[in-house]
Amino acid sequence: MANPSDNLADLVNQMPDPDQRGMYCTDIDKEKIEAAIAGIHQGGRKNIKGIIDMLVEPGKGDDVKAHYALHALGLHLCKLDDDKLRRQFAKTLASQLADRPKAVQAYLVQEIQAFGGKEVVAELGALLTDEDLCEPAAMALVAIREGAAEQLRNALPKAKGKSRLTIVQNLGVVRDKDSVAELKKAAKDEDQDIRIAATWALGNIGDAGSADLLLDIADKSQGWERIQATKASLLLAERLLAAGRKTDAAAIYKHLRDTRSDPAEKYIRDAALSALAAAG
Amino acid sequence: MRKGNKLTRRRFIKGSIGAVAAFTIVPRRVLGGQGNTPPSETFGGALIGCGGRGNGTFEGLGPNVEKRAICDVKFIGREDGKMVYSDFRRVLERKDIDLVAIATHPGWHALISIAAMEAGKDVLCEKPMTRFIAEGRAVVEAQNRYKRIFQIGTFGRFDESRNRDRVLTHKIMASGLLGTNCKAVHRASGGLKVAEWSGMVNAQPQPIPKSLNWDMYCGPAPLRPYHPHRFGGTHRGYWDYEGGGLSDMGQHHFDPIQWRFAKDHTSPIEIEPYAPPAHPEACAMWGWVEMKYADGLTLVFESQEWGKPYDRKDERGVSLDDLSEEDRKKIAEMPDPEPLVSFPDAIRTRKQPGGHAEAAHRCATLLHLANLAIRTGRKLKYDPVKEQIIGDEEANRLVNQPMRAPWHL
Repeated sequence: MANPSDNLADLVNQMPDPDQRGMYCTDIDKEKIEAAIAGIHQGGRKNIKGIIDMLVEPGKGDDVKAHYALHALGLHLCKLDDDKLRRQFAKTLASQLADRPKAVQAYLVQEIQAFGGKEVVAELGALLTDEDLCEPAAMALVAIREGAAEQLRNALPKAKGKSRLTIVQNLGVVRDKDSVAELKKAAKDEDQDIRIAATWALGNIGDAGSADLLLDIADKSQGWERIQATKASLLLAERLLAAGRKTDAAAIYKHLRDTRSDPAEKYIRDAALSALAAAG
Repeated sequence: MRKGNKLTRRRFIKGSIGAVAAFTIVPRRVLGGQGNTPPSETFGGALIGCGGRGNGTFEGLGPNVEKRAICDVKFIGREDGKMVYSDFRRVLERKDIDLVAIATHPGWHALISIAAMEAGKDVLCEKPMTRFIAEGRAVVEAQNRYKRIFQIGTFGRFDESRNRDRVLTHKIMASGLLGTNCKAVHRASGGLKVAEWSGMVNAQPQPIPKSLNWDMYCGPAPLRPYHPHRFGGTHRGYWDYEGGGLSDMGQHHFDPIQWRFAKDHTSPIEIEPYAPPAHPEACAMWGWVEMKYADGLTLVFESQEWGKPYDRKDERGVSLDDLSEEDRKKIAEMPDPEPLVSFPDAIRTRKQPGGHAEAAHRCATLLHLANLAIRTGRKLKYDPVKEQIIGDEEANRLVNQPMRAPWHL
């Protein structure tokens, strides 16, 4: 009887070889690839784990075929349009994150970003304070969206450096109203990138109580930070208008209209005037 | 430019210069530009992205534009704070810069276009406009919010709009008189450089050149190990920065077609691919993609570089014979579309340029939808109003892709 691991190796070996340029441009047999992937699928969780065991860090070996096979398997499962299969795939990927090289973990998280759902947000949340993995983890959470805000919010108190910036920004991406208090603190951070991310996040969330803070930052800052804080203020006004809070939005526009007297910022004054006219 | 396209970028720019010379120049300060206008009414220009297309893109800004700044992530160690920069944000802070030409890799096109407009600049941006669909909508919103001029760096539609036969097609399609019975099929076969702009699947990490800010180069995309094939023109082969030859050449090919068929404000509703399973990072081979609009128009992109040829529908145009006699009279009475406005004219008159943000976004959307179908390997349905894939969560994630901080839409 054939050894299942030998069979998996044979099936993975059915993936194309890179051509002379290192690309997938020659002898790409769609039917052959798809048949092999279907065969890998038949082996279930064991085969998924087997492929993951073949993955190596860049520069540490040849995992070209395993790398491609794992992604092609995800595509195959999505085509079957069976959410149970997709969830099993995502849970298996997430279960294999521990004790792998960082680059392999990053690839698994990338695949979770493509194919995972709320069933794996906790495993992604656990990576948010890892300096090397916070970015792919946050990107995967934002792509999944459901359950992301809680993971980001819970990780923020422990986060530093790049991790903190990543979380602050993505709380804005997911428009987490429950993070407003923490984001207001972050808007006064000593790190300019974090201040800018926080002001944008508050604008994107559409928190009416942040208007004075954003305008104050926009008024007092210079250069890129001033440009971004002004943008955050205009964005907040648009969010407020969309929420039916015309008076609050108009207050922002009027402030910008009345304070941007430097000829270099005439375009901001004009933008505010135009928006006021459109708001009626 | 596509072979056979008569309007090269150089000829277009010369034509625009001729047209502008006959046009009354309105002082910059009257138009609401930044700073005082010198007596010569010269605009301050900046080039962001100084690779192979850089100088050509800067030329597209038109006459009376002084190059006051150049910026590239590979200028580490050369920055002087006056002319040479490695961080585009420092360029955009300058009050003497009015116009920005963007020729970075496409992963940066939308972000820098938006940032430039936030800083009060007008923008000429290389094609493809964007790397994914939601970026295009964000550029349109920024253009509208700040009332800036945005022009995409492909100009075939200007030639298209001067061709009498194409104008007739445009009028028939714009009229809506065909209802949902448009039988037109446009096939674009070959010339999309699929193999040429594929990515490596076995690239091994290399040391980062000292003059290159690799983190900034990757920008909103994942931070990958450096390899020279991901840098320079060959970046085209990676989903992180572009979308292969289809993205690179597609806006040249299909922007004039989009104008011809009056589709500047909508997108296809069905997209079907014929391709092998896609690689997660490297663009690779595909056969064809068929796209259908709500009114029945079909576009077919065919690589002619892989697989069996497309054999479902023959090319078919639109003509007055498709209409009733009564409807033909309506077309005869329709005025011709207004001439498209060049970028040099647009920045002076503040009129919408021919390759404006919405049109460029819709054309880039064609390319992205095609690539989404190729990447997922399945037929997709798209809502052109909500700009979302319908009923396919995995595909929809590629419509609006997460970005690395501090970059966001």
